[in-house]
Amino acid sequence: MSDILYDQWEPVIGLEIHVQLNTKTKLFSRSLNQFGAEPNTNIDPINTAQPGVLPVLNEEAVKKAIQFGLAIGAQINRFSTFDRKSYFYPDCPRNFQITQFFHPIIQGGTITCDVEGKTKHFKVDRAHLEDDAGMLKHFSSFAGVDYNRAGVPLIEVVSEPMMHSPKDASAYATALKAIMQYLGVADCNMEEGGLRFDVNISVRPKNDKTLRPKVEIKNMNSFHNMELAIESEIRRQIQAYSLNPNEEFAKAIEPGTYRFDLAQRKTVMMRRKEEAHDYRYFHEPDLVPLMIEEKTIELLKNSLPELPHERYLRYTTELKLAPDAAAILINDKYTSDFFEEALSLVKKPSGLCNWLIVEFYGRLKEMGKTLEQSGIKAVHVGHLVQMIEDQVITGKIGKLVADDMLKTPGKDSKDIVKENPSYQPLDDSSIIEPIVDAVLEQNKQSIIDYKAGRNKALAYLVGQVMKETKGKASPAIVNQLILKKIEES
Amino acid sequence: MDNLSAHEITDLFTSNKVSAEEITKSTLERIHKLNPTLNAFLHVFDQRALKQAKRLDEKRAKNEPLGKLAGVPVALKDNMLVNGEIASCASKFLENYTAPYDATVVRLLEEEDAILIGRTNMDEFAMGASGTHSAFGPTKNPWNLDCSPGGSSSGSAAAVSARLCPLALGSDTGGSIRQPSAFTGITGFKPTYGRVSRSGLVAFASSFDQIGPFTRNVKDTALIMEAIGKRCDKDSTSIHSPPNSFDAEMGKSIAGTRFGVPWKFLEKLKGEPRDCFDKSVELIKSLGAEIVNVDLDILKYGIAVYYILTSAEASTNLARFDGIRYGLRSKDAKTLEDIYDYSREEGFGFEVKRRIMLGTFVLSGGFKDAYYEKAAKVRTLIIKNLRLAFEACDLIAMPTSPGSCFPLNGINDPLEEYLQDLYTVAAPIAGLPAISIPNGVSSDKKPFGLQLIGPQMHDAKVLGAAHAIEGALDFPKDPPEGFGGVR
Repeated sequence: MSDILYDQWEPVIGLEIHVQLNTKTKLFSRSLNQFGAEPNTNIDPINTAQPGVLPVLNEEAVKKAIQFGLAIGAQINRFSTFDRKSYFYPDCPRNFQITQFFHPIIQGGTITCDVEGKTKHFKVDRAHLEDDAGMLKHFSSFAGVDYNRAGVPLIEVVSEPMMHSPKDASAYATALKAIMQYLGVADCNMEEGGLRFDVNISVRPKNDKTLRPKVEIKNMNSFHNMELAIESEIRRQIQAYSLNPNEEFAKAIEPGTYRFDLAQRKTVMMRRKEEAHDYRYFHEPDLVPLMIEEKTIELLKNSLPELPHERYLRYTTELKLAPDAAAILINDKYTSDFFEEALSLVKKPSGLCNWLIVEFYGRLKEMGKTLEQSGIKAVHVGHLVQMIEDQVITGKIGKLVADDMLKTPGKDSKDIVKENPSYQPLDDSSIIEPIVDAVLEQNKQSIIDYKAGRNKALAYLVGQVMKETKGKASPAIVNQLILKKIEES
Repeated sequence: MDNLSAHEITDLFTSNKVSAEEITKSTLERIHKLNPTLNAFLHVFDQRALKQAKRLDEKRAKNEPLGKLAGVPVALKDNMLVNGEIASCASKFLENYTAPYDATVVRLLEEEDAILIGRTNMDEFAMGASGTHSAFGPTKNPWNLDCSPGGSSSGSAAAVSARLCPLALGSDTGGSIRQPSAFTGITGFKPTYGRVSRSGLVAFASSFDQIGPFTRNVKDTALIMEAIGKRCDKDSTSIHSPPNSFDAEMGKSIAGTRFGVPWKFLEKLKGEPRDCFDKSVELIKSLGAEIVNVDLDILKYGIAVYYILTSAEASTNLARFDGIRYGLRSKDAKTLEDIYDYSREEGFGFEVKRRIMLGTFVLSGGFKDAYYEKAAKVRTLIIKNLRLAFEACDLIAMPTSPGSCFPLNGINDPLEEYLQDLYTVAAPIAGLPAISIPNGVSSDKKPFGLQLIGPQMHDAKVLGAAHAIEGALDFPKDPPEGFGGVR
C-alpha cells in the first residue's frame, strides 16, 4: 500500500449543515424551543402529531433564515414552498418531515473564509427551512422518545461540492457557524446538537474534471471529528481506486451513507445507495406558499450587523493583525466581541490579540474551557495589556497575572498587581544600578559589540538585568541606566 | 319537537317557550329510540349535552346574550375532535383515542350556544361513499333500511334525515356531505375550501377536505355557516369570511341568474335520475333564470385525478397512525417494524389500506411523474375549465349523484363505488362551494339530489339560489315514512 500516490488525487467535498435556529418557539407550533427541559414537556398536539393538527409557520424562523441568506449574499426567494418528506421512524411524529425540497427560501450565496492564511470563497447551493425530529432514548429493556426537540426549526445549508480538503471543510463550517452567531439567529451549541454536519465526499485524479460517485457521512457534531472523518474517507476512496484500477467506480468505493466510527478512526457503511429511502416528496397541502415581500427583505438587509468576514477585513487592514490571528479572533463571536471591548484600552491591537489568542487561549486549552466559560472580563485583559504597554509591569509578570486572572475570574488585573508585592515593578534606580553594574562588568564584549553598532547586544544586556531581577525591573529604567553606563564607560 | 328546524328551535328557546333541557331530553330520547335501528351515532353525549343545556338555561335566566345556535342540538361526524371525548374516525385504530383538544368548529359551535349531542358514524377515515366501511357497522338509510345512506358522512346524514337532530356536521372530500344528503333527502353543503377551519378535523386529503353542515333546509345551512365559517389562525389555509357572507342572498329571486349545465358531460345520465334533473332544470327556468350550456367535458378525468391526489395526501396524513404515541398498538408486536406492520394491519380496514397503498404507489420514485404529477396538472386544467365556465354562468347545476341510494350490500366493486363521486369531485378539486338539495323521489321512494356549484367565495350565492329553488320544489316536507316502522 505504500506505493499509493495520495497526492495524485483531488478530493471533492460538499457539506450539508443543519443549524437549529434560536427562535422562541418551534417551527410549526407554539411550544418552546428550549434545550435541556424534562423529556416531553415542551410539546403540544402538533409536535406529537395528534390527529387533526395543522402546522402554522413561525415567522421568526423565516426572518432568521432571510437574515442568513442576506449575510451570505444569497438570493431570497420571494416565493418558496414546503414539502412532505416521508419516512417511518419513531422520532418523526408525523412520519414525514416538513421541509422545502422543491422551492427553498434561500438560493446561492457565498461563504468567505480564511483557510490557513488564504482567503477562499465557497459557494452555497441552497438553504431551506425544515423541522427537527425528536430524540430516541434507549433503556435496558425498552426505548422511549423525547419529543421536546421535535419541531425545532432547522435551516439546512447545502454547499456546492467545491471543497478539496478537510481544512477547507472545517474552515467553511467554522465560518458558517460564525455568521449564524454574529446574526444572533442560532446558538450553534455543538454539545446540544445545535450544529450538525453531513459530508459528501468523492475523489478524482488531479486534472480530471468529472465527478466520481460520492459517499455521504452523516451526522457529525464536532469540527475535529469531521476533519478526521473526511481524512479517513479520502484515504479509503483513494486506496479503493488505486487497488482496483479496473473496477467500476461504484463497485470500488461502494457509494451510500456512512457514519464515522471515532474509535476505529474509519467510516462505516450504514446503507448502500440502492437502499436509499424513497422519500416520496410532494407539496405540503397544509401550508400555503411562503411569499416574502421586498420591503421585508430591505428592512432586514438594512439591519444586518457587522459580519465575520467584514470584521476580518477590518482587523487585517485597519488594525494590521496577521491574517491567521484575525481569523482566529473572528471565528468565535464571543472572542471577537471580547477583543473589541478591550481594544479601546490598549495602544497596539496586535499586542492585545497576541495576549488573547496565545496566552489566554493556551491557558484555557489546558483547563479545557472556553473564553466564555472562564468568566474573565474583557476590560481586565485590556488593563493587563495596558499595564504592559505602559511598562508598569513586564511581560513576564503579565503571564503570572494572567494565571491569577483565570484562577480568580472577575478580579481586575490592576487589583491583582496592586495586591501582590512580588508583582510590583522594581523602579528604584538605586536598587537596579548595582545590578546593571554587575551585568556590564561580566559582559564587556557586549558593550564593545553595541558600540560597534550591534543593537542586539543591548537587548541581551537588558535581558540579563531582567533575569537578575526576576523580570520585575522596569524595562524603561533598565534601558536608560545601561545606555548611560555604556556612554560613561 | 323532532320535526323542528334549527331556526325554529332557537327561536322557541330564546323566546322562553321551551328550555334547553327540554329540547335536549327530547332529542336524546328520540336518538336512543331510533339509533339502534339506524346506527347513525357511535356515541351520544348524554351527560355532556344535559350539562350544557342546564348551563344554557341558567344563561337565559340571567338574561345574558345568547348565541346564534342557542339550544340547537348538533351532531358531529366522528372525525372532529371534542376535548375529552373519543374521536375514532370509525376506525379500530382510534377506537380508544381520546381527543386532547377541541376542533375549531367545536369551539365555534359552543360559542354560539349549540348543544353537542354526539359522534356520528362514517366510513373509516372518511374513505368511502356508502357508510359500510365503518369498523362499527354500517349506518342505515332512514328512507329505506336496506339501503346505504351514502358516505362517508353516513351517520350525520341519517341523523338529520331521521330527525334525530336538526343539524349535523360532516366533512366533504369528494362528495362526502353532498352524496349522503342526496341519498337521505336532506340538504348538504360543502363551503369554499378554507372557509371552515380544518383544525381538529382528522385529515384525509388536506387540499380537498372541508367541513360543512347537514340541515333540513337551506335557511338552517346559512345559519350554521355564519357560526362556523370563520377565519382560524390554527389553519394556514383558512380564509377570512366577513359576517353575512353566507346568508346575504337568502330570499332573493333567481330571475336573471345564469345556470350552466354541462349537458355533454351528463350524456350518460338516463332514466329516473335524468328525468328528475330535467324537471328541476325546467323549474329553475320557470323561476326566471337562464339555462346555458357549459363545456365541462374535462370532468370525465375528475375521478382519476381525485383518487390519485387524495390517496397521495392520505398516505402521508395517515402515516402518523403508527402505534407509537397513541391509538392501537398490536399486542403481538416485538420489534419496531412489528409495531408499524401489525398495528396498521389490525387497526385499518380494507378500504383505508387500499388508499394508503394507492397513495404510496402514485408518489413513489419512478411513478410519481406518471401519476401524482400528471394528476396535479389535470387538477389545474379542471380548475381553469371551471373558471372559464363561470364566465358564461353564475352557478353550475348538476345532479348530486348518478343514481339514488343503493342497497347496503349493493356495491362490491371498489371502482363502482368510486364512480358515485362522478358529479361531486369537481367542487373539491377546485375548492368551490357546492350544495345538494333534495329535488325528487324515485318510484321506489328513494330521494334524489340537485347540486349547485358556485365560484370560489360565492357561498352566499349558492345558498341564496338553493333557497329559492327549494321553496319552489315539491319535496315531501315530512320525515320519510316507515323506516323500520318506528316513527
